[in-house]
Amino acid sequence: MSFLYPLGLLGLLAIPVLIFIYIIKSKYTEQTITSTYLWTLSEKFLKRKNPINKITGIISLILQILAVIFISIALAHPVFVLKGRANDYCFVLDGSGSMNTVQEGSTRFEAGKERIRGIINSAADGSTFTLITTGNVTDTVMKQTEDKKTALRQLDAVEPSFVASDFAGAVSEAQKYFSENPACKFYVITDKTFGAEKNVEVINVGSQANNCALEDVDYAFTVGGGVLVSGKAFAYDGDASVTVELFYDGNGRAVASTDVTLTKGEGAGFTIEWTAGEDESLPQFSSLKVAIKQGDSLRLDNEVILYNTHSDASYSTLIVSETPFFIQTSLLAAFGNLKREVVSPKDYNDEMRGYGLYVFQNFTPEKMPEDGAVWFINPDTGVDGTSGFSVRGVEQFKNAVELKLSTSTSSKVTDLLKHTDKSDTTGVTQYIKCGQFRNFTTLMTCNNDPVVFAGTNAYGNREVVFAIDLVETSDFAMSYNARILTYNLIGYTFPEIVESSSFYCGDSVEINVLANCTAIKVELPSGKAEYLDTSTASVKYKLTEVGEYTVTATVGGILQSVKVYSQLPVAERISGATEASFVLNGEPSTVKRDGKYEDLLYAFIILAVIVAADWMVYCYEQYQLR
Amino acid sequence: MVKTVIDDELLQQIELLQMLVKNNVAGMFGGNHKSKTYGSSCEFADYREYAPGDDITKIDWNAYARFEKLYTKLFLDERQMHTRIYIDASNSMGFGKGRKDEQALKIAAAFAYLSVCEMDKVSVYTVKDKQVEAVISGMLGKEAYISSIGNLNNVTFSGDSYISDAIVPSSVGYGDGMSIIISDFLTDNDYEAAIDHLTGKKRHVLCVQVLSKEELHPKARGKMHFFDSEDSGKYYRKNITREIAQAYKKALEYATGRIREYCAARGADYMLVNAEESVNGLFFERLTGEGVLK
Repeated sequence: MSFLYPLGLLGLLAIPVLIFIYIIKSKYTEQTITSTYLWTLSEKFLKRKNPINKITGIISLILQILAVIFISIALAHPVFVLKGRANDYCFVLDGSGSMNTVQEGSTRFEAGKERIRGIINSAADGSTFTLITTGNVTDTVMKQTEDKKTALRQLDAVEPSFVASDFAGAVSEAQKYFSENPACKFYVITDKTFGAEKNVEVINVGSQANNCALEDVDYAFTVGGGVLVSGKAFAYDGDASVTVELFYDGNGRAVASTDVTLTKGEGAGFTIEWTAGEDESLPQFSSLKVAIKQGDSLRLDNEVILYNTHSDASYSTLIVSETPFFIQTSLLAAFGNLKREVVSPKDYNDEMRGYGLYVFQNFTPEKMPEDGAVWFINPDTGVDGTSGFSVRGVEQFKNAVELKLSTSTSSKVTDLLKHTDKSDTTGVTQYIKCGQFRNFTTLMTCNNDPVVFAGTNAYGNREVVFAIDLVETSDFAMSYNARILTYNLIGYTFPEIVESSSFYCGDSVEINVLANCTAIKVELPSGKAEYLDTSTASVKYKLTEVGEYTVTATVGGILQSVKVYSQLPVAERISGATEASFVLNGEPSTVKRDGKYEDLLYAFIILAVIVAADWMVYCYEQYQLR
Repeated sequence: MVKTVIDDELLQQIELLQMLVKNNVAGMFGGNHKSKTYGSSCEFADYREYAPGDDITKIDWNAYARFEKLYTKLFLDERQMHTRIYIDASNSMGFGKGRKDEQALKIAAAFAYLSVCEMDKVSVYTVKDKQVEAVISGMLGKEAYISSIGNLNNVTFSGDSYISDAIVPSSVGYGDGMSIIISDFLTDNDYEAAIDHLTGKKRHVLCVQVLSKEELHPKARGKMHFFDSEDSGKYYRKNITREIAQAYKKALEYATGRIREYCAARGADYMLVNAEESVNGLFFERLTGEGVLK
């Protein structure tokens, strides 16, 4: 037996002190009484056979000494060494997204933790515990922790991630530890299966529950003013029939739905079309949620939310035009939060500044605004060399000529033409022939001449040119694509904090640091918040959770918020996926470490309490008898 | 001392009491207590034939008319009683703050006055070692009581006492009244022989055992070394625990029970008195309740 805190035995020094005090105080009180007759007679009535009577005089001292002994030993914390009874344990806990699957009331991750708890609790005292978790990163949470309570506390604090596990990293960490300590017992707790295993015991906490999921969900506005949501639904472990529902702007009631029959392992496409009612406004929606009505054990992949990255923006615009009606009511109305001011060309001067967007219709200023984006509509000339284009003449036709949408597959064109309808035709009888001497992206052409194009001007601001008259010599204003294109170009003109709203967990989101942006805050689905660096033009942020992220930027003292949705990675939706291998190379050792038995501590504490209490009761009784 | 403790009011009340003597008294002089012999009291006892020399005033002429013979009426005689009070004057009675001595003297004074009121003779003795010493001898009448009772103040309590060895050889009378022994009876010495002797002399015996409060309910606990007040060679050294306290209680019950049963077996009366008990309550409640007085 050894003691964790031998200094506690110093308490035994109190014993000689107690004995000394007892000897000093152990005097008989002398007293002369009328007669000792009755006292002497009382001897006949004593129970002489009780051996306790012999130690009655020193029972208080005995109790005190016993209490001191037990308290001292308890303070010293006795430990018995048990030769070769303990083990080293190393747990590799899979923290991938699929471990969030709920089965029998708790997640696979919690079930895995429970299995580890069981092993820790049943392990002999003196064993050590190492825990490696995989997930966003491979982390050694604890290494050779001997205290069970500490190990359990650290285990409790571990949370699962939502991404695929880096098992290669985990194997590397475990291999290092195995090389140092070949006697260690290795456990891998996961819902995956491995192609090969060596020197580890795999505890599979998975189940065969079917999992359904949504993928590739997107939307497009229809010619009729509605929205068409499309995507694929999957069932990974068996056939299923599900209902896919569409929710509008966080409304708890589905506005449309469709039934989809799924075959195991195969995706089934679906579409849901919905036309907004009078109270709803497309495309100014905030969010569209698509969800599988039935749900399943892994709910993280049962829904996708598509956010409108423009819905909350607010900008100021100066329209310089003699005929601003159309641009105000039809085009710019597509972007509801745009604040508009209108002046006629003759009232315009170069001192009118402070706007985010300047729209010049049928008019060209002498000097380009330097503090905002510029739109030219049917310009009669360029502005010095700063506008980036020049007017070479006017092309006119007797019969309307069709404007063509760009067929380029560049990401910029794709982004600016998103949701447009290729079948929607627009005709013109006249357009301005422009020459480009800066790098513009052409969106619409007529006879291969750029008619609608976008780029940046000499001051670094966004610039859009419509080389047509929107109303009189074209039917552009009446087309479906006009609304969508205008909407997209407004978004281009005012760069958003994020350009897209739909991601997979583990993806990195590129967050634009807008001009005059002083702070960017990211709120995670779990409620945590992080602040990003604003010193660069853009910052990449890795999504580590599934759900709704809110990115809030402080731009010129005004808060701008945008939401993005992070989906569960596709690989984590498949139950019982197979990983490559978990092989630890080397020969395991059977040498065990010495165990410990510490539970005697509680026995000594209990004995100390009992004896001390008995002593106090004895003293109280003696006091009561006086 | 006694006069200051027994006040006039108590003495007046005691006058109302009367001793109940179990044996008829055979004293020399007339008194208030009935005797077995015929005498001159008013209480009719029997007839006998007239003999010359008889008092002719006691001839029952009604009986002569009926039987034509002379019969003389006989009446019970009333004799004077001699109350003898023995006070244990050992050191155990007077030691410490127990007030046993004071209580013993009070009881003796009260019994003496009660007897005087009944025209009885009263003698008060102290028992010291193996001797009986008369403190008051043959006291008769209230005037004698007043002049003599103060002698009790001179009683000193010291040494040991051997009740039987002292009383048996002394003159205790025969069939002439009550003998009262006042003691704590906390002794190994013989006292039973005295009771036997007195009852054998046709005397009504009353044993009054006076114990102090500390003796009845001892509070001593812990390590104690008791010395005996009468004999310094005797001591008791123990750690007084609850068990010993319970054994003491049993010893007390045994000691008082032994004398009580002994008295009962000999037709004697017994009374256990707390030294702090009031004499008034003792006489008017307990002794009357026990039938010793009426």
